[in-house]
Amino acid sequence: MGGESVEVSEAFSFTGEKVLHNMAEDLNWAVGGEAGDGIDSTGKIFAQALSRAGRHVFTSKDFASRIRGGYTAYKIRTSVDRVQSVVDRLDILVALTQRTIDENLDELHADSAIIYDGERSWEAEIPEEMNAVDVPLKSLAEDAGGAIMRNIVALGAACEITGFNVEYLDEALEKRFGGKGSKIVENNKAAARAGQEYVQEHYDLDHLGYDLETTDNDYVLLNGNEAIGMGALAAGCRFYAGYPITPATSIMEYLTGRIEEYGGHVVQAEDELSAINMALGGARAGARSMTATSGAGIDLMTETFGLIATSETPLVITDVQRSGPSTGMPTKQEQGDLNMALYGGHGEVPRFVVAPTSIDECFWKTIEAFNLAEKYQTPVFLISDLAMSVTEQTFAPETFDMDAVEIDRGKLVDDDSVDEWLDEQGRFRAHAVTDDGVSPRAIPGTIDGAHMSTGLEHDELGRRTEDQDERVQQVDKRSRKVETAKEDENWEYREFGDEDADNLILSWGSNEGALAEALDYLEDDGIDVRVISVPYIFPRPDLTDEIEAADDVIVVECNATGQFADLIEHDVLTRVKRINKYTGVRFKADELAEQITEKLSEEVPAQ
Amino acid sequence: MSSDVRFTDFKSDKQPTWCPGCGDFGTMNGMMKALAETGNDPDNTFVVAGIGCSGKIGTYMHSYALHGVHGRALPVGTGVKMARPDIEVMVAGGDGDGYSIGAGHFVHAVRRNVDMTYCVMDNRIYGLTKGQASPTSRSDFETSTTPEGPKQPPVNPLALALASGASFIAQSFASDALRHQEIVQKAVEHDGFGFVNVFSPCVTFNDVDTYDYFRDNLVDLEDEGHDPTDYEAAKEVILDSDKEYQGIMYQDENSVPYHEQHGVTEDMSEIPDGAPDDAMDLVREFY
Repeated sequence: MGGESVEVSEAFSFTGEKVLHNMAEDLNWAVGGEAGDGIDSTGKIFAQALSRAGRHVFTSKDFASRIRGGYTAYKIRTSVDRVQSVVDRLDILVALTQRTIDENLDELHADSAIIYDGERSWEAEIPEEMNAVDVPLKSLAEDAGGAIMRNIVALGAACEITGFNVEYLDEALEKRFGGKGSKIVENNKAAARAGQEYVQEHYDLDHLGYDLETTDNDYVLLNGNEAIGMGALAAGCRFYAGYPITPATSIMEYLTGRIEEYGGHVVQAEDELSAINMALGGARAGARSMTATSGAGIDLMTETFGLIATSETPLVITDVQRSGPSTGMPTKQEQGDLNMALYGGHGEVPRFVVAPTSIDECFWKTIEAFNLAEKYQTPVFLISDLAMSVTEQTFAPETFDMDAVEIDRGKLVDDDSVDEWLDEQGRFRAHAVTDDGVSPRAIPGTIDGAHMSTGLEHDELGRRTEDQDERVQQVDKRSRKVETAKEDENWEYREFGDEDADNLILSWGSNEGALAEALDYLEDDGIDVRVISVPYIFPRPDLTDEIEAADDVIVVECNATGQFADLIEHDVLTRVKRINKYTGVRFKADELAEQITEKLSEEVPAQ
Repeated sequence: MSSDVRFTDFKSDKQPTWCPGCGDFGTMNGMMKALAETGNDPDNTFVVAGIGCSGKIGTYMHSYALHGVHGRALPVGTGVKMARPDIEVMVAGGDGDGYSIGAGHFVHAVRRNVDMTYCVMDNRIYGLTKGQASPTSRSDFETSTTPEGPKQPPVNPLALALASGASFIAQSFASDALRHQEIVQKAVEHDGFGFVNVFSPCVTFNDVDTYDYFRDNLVDLEDEGHDPTDYEAAKEVILDSDKEYQGIMYQDENSVPYHEQHGVTEDMSEIPDGAPDDAMDLVREFY
């Protein structure tokens, strides 16, 4: 314990009995305050500094749907080993408000350090067991050139507390402020040092026992939405139409300013009805096109799902799920749109539903989604979730090996090959009935390829029909595309843990990281589990053998009703156990391990 | 693009199921002639149609076409044109499609000023659903769903366009074939969003806004010496609810279409076989 004594509120229920699992290996750090306090950029700078030091980083955000005020935090878990989950423990907290401390009491422990500014108007109430580190953030920042840098002072202080070399922070500051001129960069570096030196002079914390190892590894740091955006560019996406909605907007923001470099364009539509129809137009014109949305946005887009399918238009529709129904909790995690993606829209709409399970997979699955869309001329739903969209994680750059990107444009015809698909009167058979269900595709400008496509049932030429035979032929042909894809494509799952374990955990979406880490906790307790993480919702891998081989099957997902569990039960005709979380907060590795242990001891539900 | 395109090349072999005498025949003929006259051919033309009697136009014309969702024709056309500035885009729909369910898109398509043409076949009635009030129906027009009339003023689509910052506003009459074609042709040639509201009488369900009514009441702006580049004069005729006008109400000679404003000039259908050559730079950005 160092520093001045602080007032302790009796309201605190803190017991100090936190399990300090892996404490030596990883550090859990956070900065929190009000929206508008620059929390995000402060956290990002520290995350980048850690990444520059060759450390792995996994970040998460607590935020509210407001521009100013409230409570917001940026949390970092860092280790030299790969980290892919948050845990229920906070070691260092930069608190700009009392609420930041209060909100995180459950995660703080006796050895935690809290950096705060004692000169500010609020009187910090910090449990006395903890290390209260009072640093005059604002005054020191003013001395360094401006009060705006107070968060940077706090970062310097955090470096000192953990014994982390402040020079790594310099690199991150150069990246963040380099565009604003060397003066700004130098001021920020000075502010960081002021914080570092202040702690050095006034406290004797001995780095709280931390020895943050560094490596020579170069990592890149990105979130799921950035990975989707980058995947889209790698895949040749040239047209994006969208309407701002949390948490999908950052895909649009990523593409804006970059897609133009490749001759593409992003358009902000007047609503989601327009956005998906613009994207549809772009796709019919031959561009690889995408839209992304969340929450109520996907409801509006549902209107057009059927048209995409019947007109056989290749389109990628991304849904970054957030908490619903209705406006729900717009900045909170949920995996509640699985049924919507599978069944949304009137009538029967053939489609693919792909749901990446990690940030790097957001990149690869986006590329795959574009290929599936063009090969099968169908809507492809790319389903992500809020947790993945805001989390930044470190990866080796080779994870995104652009040389490995393959583009398959399917049965696109040109001025020569179009002839094969003309009927005896020279009309292009855009919806030709074929063995694999896939018809040729001619885009505008292709000579003799002119044709109409429509949401009406149609004949091979795209002309309206209500003829019973033609109707059945077209429905069957569209369904056959899905059957062909089931045969021809890989619908593999990802697997972790002990392949021969009797306990099988199934998951979809971003829970994979927490599950992979939960394995360590379970292993420590002598519990062997096999984790299967499923990135394809439709078509999906057949899990019959895997489920039959297991004694206990638990399906983990962030929703209340168990939408994926329902699917699995339907597929395999057996009951599974379920772990559902719908608090708006993602699963944490330690919490998940605890719940799995508990679930394993329960009886299997009755058939 | 061949130089000897005839307007009949834009005709499909499907016979229209419009009622005999429907204004949509004349509207479509004028559109096809305007396309042919401006040097387009079916393989470089994209027609987007909405839902309603008017929406059937995609079936009766021959070109690349999409017959889409009710009210969303303009967004589709916008997407086509942005992805392919080299393609001529013609959007067609009715008054219900454009001014009711699609009104929100109309406002924004107008202000976006994408270089395409929008012909609204305005018959002041819902025809395909057999005679209900449309957004341009008169306030006392009795229909099955408004037995005493809608009792609300009709939308003035020209004023809506003007208020939204339109660069080209015109109105034509399907039966005045030459003038209709001429006006649509001007809209096609216009650098930006060419909007033409076409009086296209419904002979089955509208016994008020008939051919005779328009013949008797139509005032041609050309005869009036109207200067379409004069914004104030345009405002006056557009807000004059006592008369039915034909002609180009307004044309902004300095109109800069969306693709020029935003530098969207490339054919987006062309992409490399793999990731772009410099794609690893995208990864390095995240260092």
